[in-house]
Amino acid sequence: MVSDIKQVPESPAGETGKPDEALGAAGPDAEGAGTGSLAPPSTAEPTQPQQVRNLPWLLSRARIWTRRGLILVLRVSRLVTIGVRQIKPGLRFLWRSILRRWRRSMEFRTVLTTLLLAVTSFAIVGAYLSNQIANNLFQERLAQAESESRYNVKQVQDTFDGAQVTDQSSVITLVYDTLTAVEGRGSVIQRRYVFEAAPEQTKPRNRWVESRASDQLTIRVIPPDLRKAVQEGGKQQFWAPTQFPVGNEDRPGIAVGNKVTFNGTVYELYLIYDLNTAQQTLDEIQNVLWAGGAALVLMIGAIAWYVTRNVVSPVSHAAVVSEKLAAGQLQERMVVKGEDEVARLGASFNHMAASLQEQITQLATLSQMQQRFVSDVSHELRTPLTTVRMAAEVLFDARDDFDPMNKRSAELLYYQVERFQSLLSDLLEISRFDAGAAVLDAEPQDIFQVVAHVVEGAAPVAEEYGSEVRLNARQKSIVVEMDSRRIERILRNLLLNALEHGEGKPVHISVAANHDAVAVSVRDHGIGMSQAEAARVFDRFWRADPARARTTGGSGLGLSIAAEDTKLHNGWLQAWGSKGAGSNFRLTLPLRQGGSIVKSPLLLEPADIDFPGATSERHVLVLGTDNTGTALESPSGSGEPAAQDHEQGEKP
Amino acid sequence: MKARILVVDDDEALAEMIGIVLRNDGFEPVFCADGGQALEVFRSSKPDLVLLDLMLPGSDGIEVCRQIRGESDVPIVMLTAKSDTSDVVRGLESGADDYVPKPFKPAELVARVRARLRPGDQKAPETLRIADVTIDVAGHLVTRGGDRISLTPLEFDLLVALARKPWQVFTRELLLEQVWGYRHAADTRLVNVHVQRLRSKIERDPEAPEVVLTVRGVGYKAGS
Repeated sequence: MVSDIKQVPESPAGETGKPDEALGAAGPDAEGAGTGSLAPPSTAEPTQPQQVRNLPWLLSRARIWTRRGLILVLRVSRLVTIGVRQIKPGLRFLWRSILRRWRRSMEFRTVLTTLLLAVTSFAIVGAYLSNQIANNLFQERLAQAESESRYNVKQVQDTFDGAQVTDQSSVITLVYDTLTAVEGRGSVIQRRYVFEAAPEQTKPRNRWVESRASDQLTIRVIPPDLRKAVQEGGKQQFWAPTQFPVGNEDRPGIAVGNKVTFNGTVYELYLIYDLNTAQQTLDEIQNVLWAGGAALVLMIGAIAWYVTRNVVSPVSHAAVVSEKLAAGQLQERMVVKGEDEVARLGASFNHMAASLQEQITQLATLSQMQQRFVSDVSHELRTPLTTVRMAAEVLFDARDDFDPMNKRSAELLYYQVERFQSLLSDLLEISRFDAGAAVLDAEPQDIFQVVAHVVEGAAPVAEEYGSEVRLNARQKSIVVEMDSRRIERILRNLLLNALEHGEGKPVHISVAANHDAVAVSVRDHGIGMSQAEAARVFDRFWRADPARARTTGGSGLGLSIAAEDTKLHNGWLQAWGSKGAGSNFRLTLPLRQGGSIVKSPLLLEPADIDFPGATSERHVLVLGTDNTGTALESPSGSGEPAAQDHEQGEKP
Repeated sequence: MKARILVVDDDEALAEMIGIVLRNDGFEPVFCADGGQALEVFRSSKPDLVLLDLMLPGSDGIEVCRQIRGESDVPIVMLTAKSDTSDVVRGLESGADDYVPKPFKPAELVARVRARLRPGDQKAPETLRIADVTIDVAGHLVTRGGDRISLTPLEFDLLVALARKPWQVFTRELLLEQVWGYRHAADTRLVNVHVQRLRSKIERDPEAPEVVLTVRGVGYKAGS
């Protein structure tokens, strides 16, 4: 095979040791004796001579261009990184907002799912349909091509067989005219042809025609497999799909191959049929299919949106209404239209709301009635009690004028009326808590004022029991937002309790604060209490020792009221006790109302006691703000004095 | 001379008992069982002090209190069975000087009566100033810019107590002791309500007081 590859001369500078031959077979115009076969195939690139001559210049140019390219690449990559970095938050935000909508909106989710499913099914159906149509179109065209080919080949063969020509020009004319006739009459080419002498046959003298083809075509458009089949086959007709150039584009087509004989030479005759019109038809059908599919998908999405909206909007309406109900707007109702399921939902929702409203109103009325009742009883009972009390006191003051029996009666009357009165007022107080009528009247005040007041008020009692009351505190003033009347009542109760059970030993009051809470603990060193007793100390009418119950005054409601008062402040009231080692009550209050307590500034379990044995009973009762029940806490050993403001808090 | 005390109470037994106690301690009680007639009895008997039950048939105790306060500065002590904050505050706001919650001890009642009847009239001539308010202690006269301000005796005593020691911060307990004459725990709401009432009379803007200042967490003091 002759090639037009020229020999490449060696560059003048350097690399002289190399063989100066180039590649390929030397042409007739090659310089020097072309022993090109020796050239290594690695340099098989045809190159222009003058470029090779300027190799150093080229190399430097290449280096410059490489550098420029590198710079360009770096710049572009930096731009891309910056862009990505700037777009990234936006993309992330978009993604997150989509995710959020996916989670929160059933509408969005349903529509999106429906759309995805619809697109997938349309893609599958569309692909199948278009495949079927394409196949049918092709089969039809193929059948047509095959029958036309048979006819045309027969025509050509007949023409060739009947030809009576011997000279070269007439043979060529005949062949060309015959083949041109195959292309069809009219302005439109019906089929193209490729006419080629079959290879590997003896060449007769009068074979003047080697090959012939329609415009732009060569034997290369025929697939080799088809050629092989035609060459090896007999008289059969073969076909294969192919592509051929028309103008500037390649068109799909069918090549149908046959053998024809002319003047003893076997020729391959391929007729090529254009599939372009079929392809165009297919394209149009596909376009229609996709457009229809897209429209349908959009419509399905819209339908899904509409349907979901119809179902979801009453639900979200119900959600809004129930939020309002929960916020206390009990008159809020849903709008009910029609008689369908959604309307039934609305109706039953409204029914529920109505019965809720009724119940709540009823409860509120009951509570109001209870409050009024308590208030009325209070008034009705107090007025005669006042008279009785005053009368008793008048008699009591004059008791020295009575005989012993009347004198004792006057005394009993006086003391029992006192007791009756304190019992009554405690009962009324408790029932006020139960009715929810107790209101916190908080204002900032120094807790030391309250403590001093309580200590001062309890001084006669302390004297009576022979106990000393000691106050431990580091700060001078702690301002707490509180209802001082209630706090005073709590502390008075705790102190009187401690004095009563303190067996004449000193009672310690400790006050300390941290950044969000203040604590006051009242510690006695008296008889103390056991686990079971510590657990029940805030129960109503509970007494540690039933035997001595009625002798030591008090209504049995004092600590219960204290617990209720504490609860009103969102504080903690906790009790600790140990048999024989005394007890400790700790009140912890938030410094500001609405604030929360993390840790109490004081220890609940005092560490100032020696326990007789390792298995001593140490019990802690924790009473929380949100839990009037009791919880036992295991004791923890500690070696520090109780009155320090060590931050050990027990959460209720 | 015996101090005359009007007892307005519908409960006959209690009224009688109060009468016994008051007579015992040298007072002269006058009784009225109906709120509607209270004002008439008040006018005819000209008492030195009124003991007024808050719950009365005919006319509400609070209404009676307001009527009496409308024409006289005579001290009024309420007797109340309702110790709820709202009732007590309502009573004090309607013009009562003090209240005694039922059930009370005779000694307690007498102490409060005496405290209100305290002969504080022989005062030395003395003129005090707080902000732009002038107080003539002996003349029982309060003026601001020449205009006379009418105060009840209790309000006057409260203002004088604050004005005498303008450098001192008074706790509510201290004021109770000095102005009301209580030694032991009493309701500090008394002070709050009376300070508010005093402010509403003497302050230009009761929301931004200049004469009686609040010291947060402690109590009150006079303005400069």
